[in-house]
Amino acid sequence: MKEPILEIRGLNKRFGPTHANKNIDFTLYQGEIRGLIGENGSGKSTLISQIAGVYSPDSGEMRIRGEKYCPQSPLDAYKQKISMVLQELGVVGNLPVGVNVFLGRTGQFTKNGVVSLKALNRAVAEQFEKWELPMPPLNSLTGNMMIETRKIVELARALSVDPDIILLDEITQSLSLNNRRKLYELLQKLKSMGRSVIIITHDVEELIEITDTITVLRDGEVVGNVVSANTTPDEVKRMMVGRDISGDYYRADKKAQYDDEVVLSVKNLTVAGELEDISFDVHAGEILGFCGLSDSGIHSVAKAVFGLSRASGGSVYLAAKDLYIKNPMQALINNVGYVPKDRDSEALMVNASVRENFALPSLGELTGPLGFVSPKNMKKLASEMVSKLSVKCEDIFQPVSSLSGGNKQKINLGRWLAKDLKLLILDCPTRGVDVGVKAYIYSLMKEAKKNKIAILLISDELTEIIGMADRLIVMKDGRMTKTISRDGDFTEQAVIEVMI
Amino acid sequence: MQKTLSVKKDEKRQNSALYLALFIAIIVFISFVVNIFTDGMFLEAKNLQVIFSNSVYPTFIAWGFCFLFACGYTDLSVGGVVVLGSFASCAFGNLFGYPGVILGGLIVGTLLIFIDFVIFAYTRIPSWIASISLALIYEAIAIFLRINKFTKPHVDTELSKSFNAIGQLPINLVLLIVGFIIVYFVYNRTSVGLNIRAIGGNKEVSRSLGINILNTLLSVGLICGLLIGTSSVIQQSYNLKTFSMSGLTSLQLIFKPLAIALLAQIMQKWINIIVAVPFCSLIIYGVFNIMTFFGVPSGTLQDVFLGAFVIAFGIGGQRGVKEVVK
Repeated sequence: MKEPILEIRGLNKRFGPTHANKNIDFTLYQGEIRGLIGENGSGKSTLISQIAGVYSPDSGEMRIRGEKYCPQSPLDAYKQKISMVLQELGVVGNLPVGVNVFLGRTGQFTKNGVVSLKALNRAVAEQFEKWELPMPPLNSLTGNMMIETRKIVELARALSVDPDIILLDEITQSLSLNNRRKLYELLQKLKSMGRSVIIITHDVEELIEITDTITVLRDGEVVGNVVSANTTPDEVKRMMVGRDISGDYYRADKKAQYDDEVVLSVKNLTVAGELEDISFDVHAGEILGFCGLSDSGIHSVAKAVFGLSRASGGSVYLAAKDLYIKNPMQALINNVGYVPKDRDSEALMVNASVRENFALPSLGELTGPLGFVSPKNMKKLASEMVSKLSVKCEDIFQPVSSLSGGNKQKINLGRWLAKDLKLLILDCPTRGVDVGVKAYIYSLMKEAKKNKIAILLISDELTEIIGMADRLIVMKDGRMTKTISRDGDFTEQAVIEVMI
Repeated sequence: MQKTLSVKKDEKRQNSALYLALFIAIIVFISFVVNIFTDGMFLEAKNLQVIFSNSVYPTFIAWGFCFLFACGYTDLSVGGVVVLGSFASCAFGNLFGYPGVILGGLIVGTLLIFIDFVIFAYTRIPSWIASISLALIYEAIAIFLRINKFTKPHVDTELSKSFNAIGQLPINLVLLIVGFIIVYFVYNRTSVGLNIRAIGGNKEVSRSLGINILNTLLSVGLICGLLIGTSSVIQQSYNLKTFSMSGLTSLQLIFKPLAIALLAQIMQKWINIIVAVPFCSLIIYGVFNIMTFFGVPSGTLQDVFLGAFVIAFGIGGQRGVKEVVK
């Protein structure tokens, strides 16, 4: 039997009236990969944030290697060789990759008061090489990088302390298929080195595949621990929500079904350095999927169609409204919705209330006869959407920043569904949401499809695309490589062959 | 992998040098064109000397702004600090000679900006609001020291002409070069410089990675204070006199340095911001010199141009960069 490295007894944490963690007992062993799962708001992130020293527990005890452990800050955690990639933190955008990896520890590269960036970058490159991570340009600012690259930089930073315990909060859903596989290999490497991992993900199947054991949380409490090899996705889901959830929440039909009416026609769209010669049509009631490896350009398609990127060639024609989309305002006022992948920095006003976030895309509809936005209408819309989407919040005036990831995503997506849309662009709509919310988002997509809304679904999850799309465009290096219809060879195997 | 990395770095360095060379070539070309229209007066050695000497002390203030903006703070009391620093430089200079000129301005400038940052760090008041209040206090102190032009001031506000070497060539050039080397390394190549930029970029990440936010903010106060103090010394030595200002008119003193820092923000896409500042300072003062040649009235139309520059450079600096000025 291996030695326990981390022991937690009777841990409690409250945020105002919310009891986020209730009497948590938890033991992690050396060389163990432990999965943490639960619905959004079940207290997973709070638990690992306490282990990471981001929050202090209200009561309870933590022990590392048998010694009492009371971290006052993440720095204390680092000192105990506990490192983390947390959901809410990130990188410092105005500093280059190299500096970000050793930020707070640049002193070790200082000689006569001057930091040797050459030595620092060499050490960073060694870390990327050691852990076999894809290395971004070390002198480039992280603020200009994609969310996936930024997560990899965070991962490199966490690994650079040579941790005994590494905490990973929803990292896989920021990664594309190829980098996700690299992460799985990395986890096995860490395990073979006797290091321990606590990983949070909402993908139950993935969690069972990559972990040794799983701890399930519900309403802030541990409801069970299971051995991954001896459990099933349905059992885990049942433990999570306290009732049976059908595993089949994707479309059941195997036929592409949509109208002939073209809603959006993209012709030879080119965005310098990102996309080249992209052409496709989306029809009313069609879900058109996009998938590809990292740097394939799938996320750039969403931005370019919504008018957020400056096209160097080609056109985006919204046939339903007979106009060419050149900027986001045009798209917005002509019934096009966009749900970006990076909800915190690109979609939501995190410091504003739930009410304001729901109202933002619909301000035109909420304006009264005198041209002022009606607070009554705003309140009505937000209250209806909170109830319809089951957003867990104290009231509609609660700041979005205090909501869990899944509830933020409900607002991010739901606020578009309050509008009369022609086209909805979804970039990784189920990133960071639990199975319950995921199922709900898919049901919303099915409903939108039924209502003849054209949907562009961009996703890093193949199962999602295959489960939901009528047609699928596979991309590589900014170009379209193949279009596959739901009627044809619509399997993961077929897609991966084209993708790689 | 390493090879690729060093090649990219070399390319970047070459590009940066190319941009700098191109930038200088454009300035030289424009200068020759302007020279033709000013009957050869613009490029006269004496005029160039005036432009250069005028641009040195704002350069130090602009470097101070680079640190301020990097950590996400705004200090509008800088003008008031320059006035008090200059007063100290003058008063102690007349008493103790050059050591008094230098230490008077440096100590008062450093102390006051440090006090500003102590207030920013320990209170939750937005820095621009706190610094306006501080500017009012510093202006009031200056008025108290100076009383008015008809009464005898509490301190000397006119420095003896024998101490004007610091503001003149070649000493100001030496100070500029030494200042540049120190500022460049502190900003780009020291842990404190990187930490300052980190807290401006993402305070939560910085805190979680063990950066002491309070100490870093106080470091900014110290570094900016030294730069503003140096600027006060050079300013006093160059102009020999400083006027007290009231009703926030000391803000006038920071507008040109602000325009310089914002122009440098735009140029940092191609050139390191600390390198860009002295060039931008020469450009701004060169432009105002040209306006004077062409008879554009100072105090009115020139101020219109200055205001327009600050807005235009501010917009340019914000393009593609989140929250340049907070």
